[in-house]
Amino acid sequence: MDAWVRFSAQSQARERLCRAAQYACSLLGHALQRHGASPELQKQIRQLEGHLSLGRKLLRLGNSADALESAKRAVHLSDVVLRFCITVSHLNRALYFACDNVLWAGKSGLAPRVDQEKWAQRSFRYYLFSLIMNLSRDAYEIRLLMEQESSACSRRLKGSGGGVPGGSETGGLGGPGSPGGGLPQLALKLRLQVLLLARVLRGHPPLLLDVVRNACDLFIPLDKLGLWRCGPGIVGLCGLVSSILSILTLIYPWLRLKP
Amino acid sequence: MDAFIRFTNQTQGRDRLFRATQYTCMLLRYLLEPKAGKEKVVMKLKKLESSVSTGRKWFRLGNVVHAIQATEQSIHATDLVPRLCLTLANLNRVIYFICDTILWVRSVGLTSGINKEKWRTRAAHHYCFSLLLSLVRDLYEISLQMKRVTRDRARKEKSASQDSLGYSVADEETEWLQSFLLLLFRSLKQHPPLLLDTVKNLCDILNPLDQLGIYKSNPGIVGLGGLVSSIAGMITVAYPQMKLKTR
Repeated sequence: MDAWVRFSAQSQARERLCRAAQYACSLLGHALQRHGASPELQKQIRQLEGHLSLGRKLLRLGNSADALESAKRAVHLSDVVLRFCITVSHLNRALYFACDNVLWAGKSGLAPRVDQEKWAQRSFRYYLFSLIMNLSRDAYEIRLLMEQESSACSRRLKGSGGGVPGGSETGGLGGPGSPGGGLPQLALKLRLQVLLLARVLRGHPPLLLDVVRNACDLFIPLDKLGLWRCGPGIVGLCGLVSSILSILTLIYPWLRLKP
Repeated sequence: MDAFIRFTNQTQGRDRLFRATQYTCMLLRYLLEPKAGKEKVVMKLKKLESSVSTGRKWFRLGNVVHAIQATEQSIHATDLVPRLCLTLANLNRVIYFICDTILWVRSVGLTSGINKEKWRTRAAHHYCFSLLLSLVRDLYEISLQMKRVTRDRARKEKSASQDSLGYSVADEETEWLQSFLLLLFRSLKQHPPLLLDTVKNLCDILNPLDQLGIYKSNPGIVGLGGLVSSIAGMITVAYPQMKLKTR
């Protein structure tokens, strides 16, 4: 009970819970439609989803300030790539929240002349840019860690005496391979890279969580902007998974990826 | 900006801000309604008020657990009167939040067999009881504080002067009222959390009293009371030392 009180005292936690419920409703609605449930039940689920969506817009009022503050903090990072990716991502998030506020004003009747479709498309575009920046940052971090890991491995191998000829673990050396054995060598290199990636991600749960979360989130604006229509079922499932993962980062702060 | 973000990151902070907005709209609507040519503004204020009020329900979901925890905590209060008052007040809050959750279920359309008026009246009743009990506790604390201040002043006067001056018999009643109010003012000045809590409860109680028809005021008074109590609530969130602690 104490854990719930502490968790729900953060406004972001409540918003994430509403998000999880919203995408669960979307997924449930899609499943019910596929299995031919009563239209009354489908209407209720859709209505609940609509209420959740509007409620979340109110809960998010003021998040632009939070995103701008995070962008201001990110400008002071030492690494250039990280500084660029994180700052641009937060700026795009701030613009996304601003568009979202305009949509709320339109939906709640304060500004009835707001073109809902136009502003919704705008907000999803900013959301997509922010997610792409997040994934670029994740890719950069993964590459850094993979380089670190492979150089540590090669150092260990050299230190253990003799070492494997060609340093196949690093995968970085081209090696004077015979043209006949090019393809299997490529396959081996690829397999080693994948193993290295798996090792890096296993050793850094915050990074893994962030990658999965951003990848799942990516489907939502892609579907809404019409770039890759995956259907409401996939969108609902991805949204639900990413909401659950972000709730986990709120419950266990050590799981949050720190720059 | 950093303080604002820290404030809005807490659910209570954001909720109090929205509550202040809701009651400001109510107050402004009451002030602008009789004026001609302000219909559009009044309509917009009404829409803002209703959408903020609907959205705030999401902040209240799950507060049953908060109220149960507060009940458990208040059972361990040392003095008898605060223990009794706070426990009963928190129990009433638990029932109020249960009624509120049932009203929410009805408003999102999950069930349709719920009598909205009945449950709204029930919720208002229990909210009113909990505020009354909190006020009884506040009055008890005020009386304790007044006794403490009187004792301290008597001690100071005894050590300062040898002979005490007598008051004139004429105007004894107004003198008594004046000295009582002065004592009340001094006690509350020394104990800002108690003043804040009393003002908050007094302003809050106007709303259910109006809803239940016990003391029908106008939307302006209810709006002003709600705004003042929301500001008091925001102060306790922004400065946690201003929250009235249970001993």
